[in-house]
Amino acid sequence: MNNSKRVEWSRLDNASKYFPATCSERDPKVFRISCELFEDVEPEILQQALDLTIERFPLYKSVLRRGVFWYYFETSDARPVVEREDKPVCAPIYRKHEKKLLFRVFYNKKRINIEIFHALSDGTGALWFMVTLVYHYLLIRHKDDFSGKKPDLNYNASISQKKDDSFTRYYQGRHYRKQIRIEKEKKVSKKAYRIRGARLDENRIKVIEGTMSAKAVLDEAHKYNTTLTVFLSALLLLSIYKDMPVRRKGTPLVLSIPINLRQFFKSETSSNFFSTMKIAYTFGEGNTELKEVIGKLNEGFRKELTEERLYQHINWLISIERNPFARIVPLPLKNISLRIVNAVMDRGITAAISNLGKIHMPPEFDSYIRQFSVVPNVKRPQMAICTYGDRLVVSFASPFRETELQRVFFESLANMGIKIEIVSNV
Amino acid sequence: MIFCGHCKVYIRDGKTICPLCGNILSDEGNDGTGEDIYPVIPLSYERHMVIRILVFISIVAIVTSYIVYRMIPTNVNWPGLVFLGLISIWLSLTNALRKRHNITKSIMWQVIIVSGLTVFWDWKIGWMGWSLDYAIPILCIVAMLVMYITAKVMRLSAGNYISYFLLGGLFGIVPILFILFDLVNVDLPSIISVAASIIFLSAIIIFQGHNIKAELQKRMHI
Repeated sequence: MNNSKRVEWSRLDNASKYFPATCSERDPKVFRISCELFEDVEPEILQQALDLTIERFPLYKSVLRRGVFWYYFETSDARPVVEREDKPVCAPIYRKHEKKLLFRVFYNKKRINIEIFHALSDGTGALWFMVTLVYHYLLIRHKDDFSGKKPDLNYNASISQKKDDSFTRYYQGRHYRKQIRIEKEKKVSKKAYRIRGARLDENRIKVIEGTMSAKAVLDEAHKYNTTLTVFLSALLLLSIYKDMPVRRKGTPLVLSIPINLRQFFKSETSSNFFSTMKIAYTFGEGNTELKEVIGKLNEGFRKELTEERLYQHINWLISIERNPFARIVPLPLKNISLRIVNAVMDRGITAAISNLGKIHMPPEFDSYIRQFSVVPNVKRPQMAICTYGDRLVVSFASPFRETELQRVFFESLANMGIKIEIVSNV
Repeated sequence: MIFCGHCKVYIRDGKTICPLCGNILSDEGNDGTGEDIYPVIPLSYERHMVIRILVFISIVAIVTSYIVYRMIPTNVNWPGLVFLGLISIWLSLTNALRKRHNITKSIMWQVIIVSGLTVFWDWKIGWMGWSLDYAIPILCIVAMLVMYITAKVMRLSAGNYISYFLLGGLFGIVPILFILFDLVNVDLPSIISVAASIIFLSAIIIFQGHNIKAELQKRMHI
């Protein structure tokens, strides 16, 4: 028994704690980010780029393990290997008892894809990883073009900044409990409309990706004096409404929208730092106009996206985690209770929409990168949006066979005169 | 790209059916630039075939044994034993399969499960005491040996096996209770097991104490 190197480990941040407990074969909590180039991907170069990138993101070298009370990340010396795409989209990554890395990198033709287990990172954190990977890839692939001047990557956080647990950093402490209680009282649990459908074999998901001009869509949004996210959320709500059975038309529709907290609180972390808000809308007689839906959503967004509300949410989440009783409950019991909470919360959500925003790359790369796209983790029909240059990609992922909702959604955009290119995995 | 006249969208990846409306796309607007973006991944039905066959065989075995017993009755209720035997095997097997990625942990659990089963079987076929006399102490000794050998052969890092070594060592001391409470007819296996455990435990505590501490901190953090 020789002395081996001390293994490093770290605690999971607040949001990360939720994912290992609630993931399953049906809902593996895995999302994908893709970058499509104008040329075929060279696997050896991608591997070199990955070797460079992983050194900049030490947390990505960890495996998830179970302690007695909590999960924890343990640094692993496994080397991530680039593979050819040979698994279904967003196939499970984390499985109990397995000690594997929590992300995978693979390619197919012109696309570089990464899939990440949500406990490791949220969309924005993963995007930084992706951007760094593509940056290194293109620098090696086109050495000669960039021999004169290396383009700058505008993401230069230090290792400790990337590892930062920003939830804990912005937690204001227990004396903020009072406001938390107020928040809880305000919450009226209403049963939301849930989209039903026939599941695909092997718990696969159906991805339909529509690419369009960001400018054209923004112009439409500006006609209603609103943002891209609100505009597309409103369209999504209307599409769901059109697809609803008549007898249920009065049920509230609830959208779950993740908020990137880095926009509000200074943080460069590449692990999770997001919160979610729920926006409800009930269609009644005569309020099925896009304008009205947008108006209501605008109001909802304004109310939720205040620093005070976000602080309340963080304080509430962390105070649960810090509760002495909750801490000493053994992990298997925690998992069961989290799964119950998760199931109850799910009943209150109709669909989800998340906007990763505009992706910035050095302008020198414009002629190499066609577009980025995101496939969200799927429990229910879910939508993810991201923009690169003028290419706005709206990805619809759904565990169901039916595509009526997707069709209505894209058709309504097409009817506004927007040209849409569709790509799908089925 | 092909234009779908129903949905008014362009299909980029050279499909013959529109993924949105399911209609067959006409070839007219096709400019022949269909790209394959998402690869086709075939369904994998084969995955658990061996397990399925084994489950099927088990059920057939239980059913036939009961039929044979009905036709040719004997004094001993042997189909019951077949049934319990199969359950024992499955219990042990599923545990081994589920924990196959962590061998030392798997061994640890096997010791506990198999010990429980031997006591159960001993009791079931009219308590002769062989489970406590021989089976459990020998299991403990073998488990410690096997754990040590796998850790060495597979070059596991201390963090991966140390807590299971510790548990294995502690479990190996349990036979001391058999002697103290006079539950055994034959002392020797129990004495060897206890002695081996004490030596094993002292070795890991003396040489790997710091690792044990680090592991406990990690696994027990609240």
